[in-house]
Formats: sequence, structure tokens, C-alpha cells
Amino acid sequence: MSRLAVALLALALPLAAVAAPETYTLDPYHTYPNFSVDHMGFSTVYGRFDKSSGKIILDKAAKTGSLDLTVETASINAADNEKGNRQRSRDDHLRSPDFFNVAEYPRMTYKSTGVKFNGDNLATVEGNLTLLGVTKPVVLQVDRWKCGPHPINKKEMCGGNASGTLKRSDFGMKFALPVAVSDEIKLIIGFEAYKE
Amino acid sequence: MNDLLNHPAVQGGLAPFVAALIVALVLGRARLAGLAVVAGFCTTVYLVSGFVFEPLSVTRRIVLLALAAPVIGILVDFAFTPIRLGNAILAVATGAATFWVFWPVLQQKDLKTVMLMGGGSALFVAWLVGFSQNFLSQHPIRAGAAGLGLGIGIGVTAVLGASALYGIYGISLAAGAGAFLLPQMIGGKEFEAGATFMLPLALTVGLLAAATLVLAQLPWYSLIALAFIPLAARLPAPEKSPLWIQAVAISACTLAVATATIALTWQSGGRLPA
Repeated sequence: MSRLAVALLALALPLAAVAAPETYTLDPYHTYPNFSVDHMGFSTVYGRFDKSSGKIILDKAAKTGSLDLTVETASINAADNEKGNRQRSRDDHLRSPDFFNVAEYPRMTYKSTGVKFNGDNLATVEGNLTLLGVTKPVVLQVDRWKCGPHPINKKEMCGGNASGTLKRSDFGMKFALPVAVSDEIKLIIGFEAYKE
Repeated sequence: MNDLLNHPAVQGGLAPFVAALIVALVLGRARLAGLAVVAGFCTTVYLVSGFVFEPLSVTRRIVLLALAAPVIGILVDFAFTPIRLGNAILAVATGAATFWVFWPVLQQKDLKTVMLMGGGSALFVAWLVGFSQNFLSQHPIRAGAAGLGLGIGIGVTAVLGASALYGIYGISLAAGAGAFLLPQMIGGKEFEAGATFMLPLALTVGLLAAATLVLAQLPWYSLIALAFIPLAARLPAPEKSPLWIQAVAISACTLAVATATIALTWQSGGRLPA
């Protein structure tokens, strides 16, 4: 009887391991929150945050998981970081109290409250974005998703693109509204994460 | 109409000037013309960002103190006889309030930075409030001219220091001070300035300048240059001349120091654009 129990336990162990939640750490060199914003109604300005960190927890069997993302707001890069002969660059202005106020609010965070799968693929992340001390719900659509071994180092990883929109005025970022810089911001987060 | 109200020149200049002028003309006889400067500032806050105090950020703390200052100013003017000790207490209190305003940022810094940044800002604000209360508040033309210079000075240097928001707020204070001066220049009759005018003006200018130092890129020596503007408002003026000549002469002095401050800040940031 005891041999049978040990045999059953031995069979069940690999299944339990598959079903357990897996933790993935975001690769800071391949994870960049990007954004785009309308400028004066004429063009679209693109930018990104160069420094971010976080974790994804996935239970593929139960189709549940979570995403925690922390973004260093001072790392904003809208392709104008050198002021040259000018008093300030666009990135300097974006770091000021007019926009991201990085001295007072050095980080913005996204914490998921729920995820939805489409088959085996992560499809939607619902969560709360905290920016300038204000927390509001933001939904991210996962446009692209893949898990598997890294082609070169063979480490297990997941990656993809997630996108969403938000109104900056919801977070108290009201400077230059509504004409100069649009209220609606498009977020596109490209991410890769290694399994721990 | 919305397009007009969204224009920075209207938000920071025209609208606060009109609001301040109405307040100065309506409340002049009640010795409350000094409220003009707060009326102008509040108009700009309403148009640019609205009155929201949650979360209580540094900028919102500044707006909150700008709203509280005239209440204290009226109390000082109408309930107490002006004495130097009272002015010194006001200066110390505003210096302490400066630490409260910047605490969300200072608590993230090391002790040395807290002492330098927080202490320096507190000293600057206390100096502006203390000196203005002692030597300018009982002289409405000098007080108005100091407000004009301080408002223009912080308004333009804040823009150079990477915050257009603080720039617009600063210019609105200059517009308020200008609206306080104009009826006196035209009518030839002085308003009361007192703490009702001087305290909100000096405190708000001081906090905006310190905020541009702490949160944006204003160099520290621009604060020292700005601190000379109230001194310029004490320079000898043709006291027996009509008020408009006095106003022009003293404003020329304060604006000259403001211009020097702007030039200093400009030089620190870059060269003239081609």
C-alpha cells in the first residue's frame, strides 16, 4: 500500500510543478515602456522610459497571473535630451513639474488586478497605474505574446507587446492642455522576462 | 472663447490682470486693494490647473499657502499694530512653512541636501517675507513695484529653469501687482498695501522660486539675485513727485534687477539662440 502511495506521489509531482505559478523577471535591457502623444494637432511625438523593472507571475494551467512594473520617470527619453544652445531640452521640460515632476515623483508603477488569456496566450491585463501620486485603472491589450527558450542562452522566457491608452489629465498632468500636448497618451510596452 | 482662455498670455497675463484690477478698484476703499495680487494668482491657477489638492504635491502646497496668506495678512493688518517682532515672527513662520512645502521631495534626499536645499529655500523665503513686511508693506507704490519686479523675475527665470507652469504663475503675480499699481498711478491716490498685499506676494514668489530650484533647473545663484529685488524697491525715489512718476522710477529699479537675474539665469543655461 505504501509503495503504491509513493508511486502515485512520484507521478503527481511533475504535474504539480507544471501547475505552480512561475515567476518571470523583466529584462531591463529588453523592456521599454514607450508612449506617443499628439503635438499641436500636427504631428505625433514618440518617447520612452529607458529604465524600468518588474515581475510577471503566470500560472499557465489556471490561466491566472499578475504584472508588476516600476518605471523610473527621470529616464524619460523623447529624443531631445541635449539642450545645446537652448535653455533646456524637451526631456528637461518633461522631467519638470509641468509634466512628470520627477524630483517629487521619481517612479510610476503599474500593478495588475487581473489577467485574461486567449487560449494559451496572455491577452489582456487589467490594473492600476500610479502616476504623480494618483492611481487610476488602465487596461493593457497584449498584442503579441510568446513563451519559450531563448534561442541563444536557452533560458526559459516570455515576451511580448502590450498597449493601452490613458488621459494624462486623470493623473493631474494638465499643463499645455488641450491644444499644445494632447490629453490622450498611447502606451506601448515591449517586454521580455526570464523565468526565475 | 475656450481657445482664448487656453492661451498662456491670457492665462498668465491678461486674465489675472483684469481680475486683480477689478478687486483693487472694488475693494480699494475698504483698505483691501492688496487682495488684487491673490485674485490675479487664483485666476491663473483656476485657468491652468484648477483647484485640486489631492494628492498634496509641492505645487498644490504652494497654492494652498497662497490662499491662506491673505487671511493671515488681513488679520495682521486689521488686528495688530505693525511691529518688527511681528514681522520677524512672520518671516520665521514662512521659513518653517517652506520645509513643509518641500517635505515630499526633501524626505527622499540625504541630510546634507535637506540642509542645503531646504535650509537655503527657507532662508530665501524668510528673507523676502521679512524684508518686504518690514520695509515695503507700508509703502504701496514701493510694494507694488517690488511685486512687479519679483513677478517678472521669477516668471521668466522659471521658464528658463524648465518650468513654464511656474513661469505663468510668476507672471500672474506681476500682473496682479501691475493692476494694484495702475489705479494709484492714474488716480494719484495711494491704496493700502500692508500684509494683505505683501505677505501673499512675497511668500508665493519665494516658494515658486524655491520650487523651480528644487523641482526644475533654476541655479541657486538666481535666488540670490532675486533676493535683491525688494532691496531695489527701497532705493531713493522722487517722494514729492506724482505717484505715477514714483511708480515708474521704483519699478524701473526693480525691473532692472529682475532683468539682471534673468540674464544671469540665461547665461547659466546656454547662449542666445541663433
